[in-house]
Amino acid sequence: MTSLKAYVLTRLLLSIPMIFILLTIVFVILRLLPGDPVLAIVGMKASEEQIEKLRKQLGLDKPLWMQYIDYVLSILRLDFGRSMIWGRRPVITEIMEHFPATLELSISAFIVSVLIGVATGLFSSLKPSSKLDISLRIFSIVAYSLFIPMFGMILQLIFGVYLRILPVAGRKSPLVDIDTVTGLYVLDSILTLNFEGLITSIRYLILPSITLGIVLSGVYTRLVRSSMLDVLSTDFIRALKARGIPKNQLLFKHALKNAFIPVLTMMGLQFSILLAGAVLTETTFSWPGMGTFLMERIEYRDYTTVQGTIVFFALLVSLVSLAVDIVYALIDPRIRY
Amino acid sequence: MRTYRSRAGIARTTLIAIIAIIIIAGIVAGYMFMQQSATSKKNVIIIGTTDKVTDLDPAMAYDFFTWEVLSNIGEGFFKYKPGTLELVPGLAESYEVQEGGKVWILKLRKGLKFKDGTELTAEAAKWSIERVARIEGDPAWFVTDFVEKVEVVDKYTLKITLFQPVAFFKAVLAVPTYFPISPKSYPADKVSPDNTAGGIGPYYIEKFVRDQEIVLKANPNYYEKPKTEKIIIKFYKDATALRLAIESGEIDIAWRTLNPSDIVDLKKKKDLQVIEGKGAFIRYIVFNTRIPPFDNKLVRQALAAALNRKAIVDKVFLGTVSPLYSLVPAGMWSHIDAFKDKYGEGPNYDLAKQLLKQAGYSETNKLKIQLWYTPSHYGSTEADVAAVIKESWEKTGMVEVEIKSAEWSTYIELTRGQGLPVTLCGWYPDYLDPDNFLFPFLHTNSNRWLGKPYSNPDLDVILEKAQVETDQNKRAQLYVDVQKVLAEDAPIVPIFQGKLFIVAKKDIKGIVLDPYMLLRYWLIYRG
Repeated sequence: MTSLKAYVLTRLLLSIPMIFILLTIVFVILRLLPGDPVLAIVGMKASEEQIEKLRKQLGLDKPLWMQYIDYVLSILRLDFGRSMIWGRRPVITEIMEHFPATLELSISAFIVSVLIGVATGLFSSLKPSSKLDISLRIFSIVAYSLFIPMFGMILQLIFGVYLRILPVAGRKSPLVDIDTVTGLYVLDSILTLNFEGLITSIRYLILPSITLGIVLSGVYTRLVRSSMLDVLSTDFIRALKARGIPKNQLLFKHALKNAFIPVLTMMGLQFSILLAGAVLTETTFSWPGMGTFLMERIEYRDYTTVQGTIVFFALLVSLVSLAVDIVYALIDPRIRY
Repeated sequence: MRTYRSRAGIARTTLIAIIAIIIIAGIVAGYMFMQQSATSKKNVIIIGTTDKVTDLDPAMAYDFFTWEVLSNIGEGFFKYKPGTLELVPGLAESYEVQEGGKVWILKLRKGLKFKDGTELTAEAAKWSIERVARIEGDPAWFVTDFVEKVEVVDKYTLKITLFQPVAFFKAVLAVPTYFPISPKSYPADKVSPDNTAGGIGPYYIEKFVRDQEIVLKANPNYYEKPKTEKIIIKFYKDATALRLAIESGEIDIAWRTLNPSDIVDLKKKKDLQVIEGKGAFIRYIVFNTRIPPFDNKLVRQALAAALNRKAIVDKVFLGTVSPLYSLVPAGMWSHIDAFKDKYGEGPNYDLAKQLLKQAGYSETNKLKIQLWYTPSHYGSTEADVAAVIKESWEKTGMVEVEIKSAEWSTYIELTRGQGLPVTLCGWYPDYLDPDNFLFPFLHTNSNRWLGKPYSNPDLDVILEKAQVETDQNKRAQLYVDVQKVLAEDAPIVPIFQGKLFIVAKKDIKGIVLDPYMLLRYWLIYRG
C-alpha cells in the first residue's frame, strides 16, 4: 500500500469517531435546549391527548438513553430517520431537496471569491506599498469584515429595486421551468438544453454569489499577496529571471503555482466557513438551501432533521478536507504522507 | 527597471482582459434585463408570501396558509360570500337541518369531478370526513367533537348526525378539514403531506416545490371559471425579502406578512397599491388567576384600566392594527366594547390607581409583576409591545414590571405547564363564530392550553348553552353577557385586532380582504 493510500484510509477511519462524537454532542445539546419539540409542532391549541399521542409516535416518551441508542443504530444503518414535522418525511429526502441549492451557491460563491481574491492578491503583490497595493489591502479587510445580510441587502436595493436588473430572492423565475436532473439549476439547464432556464438560474445566482464571494475573497487577497511576495523573493525565481524567462511565464507558471499551495490549504479550510456563510446568504436572498432549512428546523426542535443535517455536513466537511489533502500531494511533489 | 516595466506590462494586459470581461458581462446583463421586463404575463399572477405550506392533506393541515392553499384547490359544503361573513352553498347546492340542529342533510352539486376524474358523490364526501376522524390529525377535533355518524342517503345526498345540536356547525362545515377529496388519490388511513391532488376548487396544483413555489392552474372541472388562468405563489424567508421583491417588480402581490413600517413606506410608492381589510385575529394579555396577586380581581381590573392600547397601535404598529375591547372581534355579531364600557378608552390611570389602592398597593408598596412574551412567533414587534405595556402600567406609579421572554417552544411549555403569571398571546380563529373567540379561553375545561388561567362555573353554563342555542338573537344575548363578565373579571384583556394588508401592483384588481382572512385567488386578475 502506498503512503498516500494508507493516509487516505487512516483519515477515513478517523472520521468515524469524529462523526460519532459530533452526533453525541448534537444529540445532547438539542435535548438540553429548553422547549418541548412536541409543543413546538402542535402549537398552543392542541389537546393533551394529541400531545401525548404525538410524543409516543415520535418516540420521545422513551428514556433519553434509549432514544440515543435508537438513533445511533439507525445512523449505523445509514438511516437518518424521519422528520418530526410536516408529514414526517425522510430526513435524507429533505436534505437531498435542499442540498443542491446550497451546493450551487457555494460553488459559485467559491469561484467568485477565488477569482477576486487571487486577482486582487496578484495585483497587490506586483507593486508592494503602491497606492494600488494599499487600496487592495484595505479592500481585503473591508470585504472580510462585511456583514452578509447588510451587504446583501445593499446589493438587492441597488441591483434589484433601483436598477431592476437582477432578481432579489429565490433560485429562478417562477415563470420558467427547469427539469431537475442534479438539482443544480445551471447544470440542469445545460444538460436539458434549456437556454431560458440557464439565463434565469444565472441571474438569480449573481447577487448571492457576489455577496458571499466578496466577503470570502478578503482572505485570499491577503494570502495570495503575502505568498506571492515570498515566492518572488526566493532564489529560484531570481535564477529564472537571470536566465531571461519571460515575465508572464515567470509569474503565472512558476511564482503563482508555488504561491498557490497555502491558498489551496485555505480553500479547504474555507469550505466550512463557506457553508456557514451560505446560511446567512440564503436567509438574505430567500435561497432555499440547507442553511435556511436547518435554521427553521432548529426553531421547531425537529431533532431528527437537525441531527441528520449536521451529520451530513460533518461528513461533507471531512470529505472535502481529505480531498484537499490529496490535491496537495498532487500539486506539490515534496509533500509525502 | 526592466522587471518593473514587465510587471506593468502584465498589469496592462490583465486590465484589458478585465475590461473585455466587463463589456461581455454588460452585454449579458443587458440581455438579462430584457428577460426581466418580459416577466409580466396577462394570465399569470405571482403572489409572494413569508408563510409556509405544512401538510397539504386536509386531514392534517391546521395552519393559516395551508388552509388558504387548500381553499383555492378545494371547497367545502359551504363557503363565505366574498366580503361578508355570510355562508353560501359551496359543493352542497342545498341543505336541510332536522331534529333541532342535530341532523344535517346536504345535497351535493352534480357532475363535479376531482383532478383524477373521480366524480364527487356522497360516498366520496362520507369517506373524506371519516378519513379525518380515522387519521386523528391535528384538526380531527372538527369532526370527532361534533359528528356522531355520516351516512349516504343517495348518490348525491349526505346525512350528518351530530352528538348534539351545534349552533355554528355550518361554519364548521366550511373549514378545509371537511373538504371532500378523492378516495383514489389519498390513502385511506394515513397522512399524505405532499399530495397535490386537492379537492374540487377553482384551481388545481400544477407544480409544488417545497419552500420555493406553488403553481396553480385553473380547474376546468370547477363550476366557476377563475379570473386568472395561473397563480404562482413564491415563498420568501422574511418580510424584508418580501418587500424587496414587490418593490423590484418580481412579484405582483405581497401578501402576509410585511412589517408595519414596510406597509407605511409602500403606501407612498406610486406604482403600488396598499389594500387594507379587517382581520379576525386578536392579541390579548392573559392573567393567570391561580397565581397571586392575579387571583385578586382588583389587580386585574387595575391593569386592564391602565392599558394604553392607543400607544401600542400608534407607536408599535403605526396604525396597522385597531384597539380591541373584547375577545370577540369588532364587526362580528354579538361584539360589544365591553372593556371600553367598563374602563373607558384607556389608559384610565385614576381608576387604575384607585383599584390598586383598594388592593393594598401604593407608591411605596408597589405591585411587582413579571410580563412574559415570545420574541418571534407573533412578529418582530413583540418586544416593543411588551415595553409599551410595561410603560403604561408603570405610569400608575404603583406597579413595577419585569419583562421576560422565551422562545416559542419554551413559551408554550411554560404557559401550559407552570402557568406564567402574565403572558402576551394571540389567536387566529378556527371558524368564524363568537364561540371560537370565547369558549376556548373562558370555559374551565377548554383553557388548558393557556395554563388554565380562569374558571367560572356560572360562565361555563352560559357558554355551553350558547353552543346549542339555535336562535341567533338569543345566542347573541348570551355572548353579550359573557363579554360583560369577561370585562368585570378581566382574566384576559384584549389589546388589539389585526388588520389585513396586501401590497399589489397598480394593475392588479379583484383582491378581497375580509375577516375570512384567506385570500381567494380566483377573484384576482390583471386589469
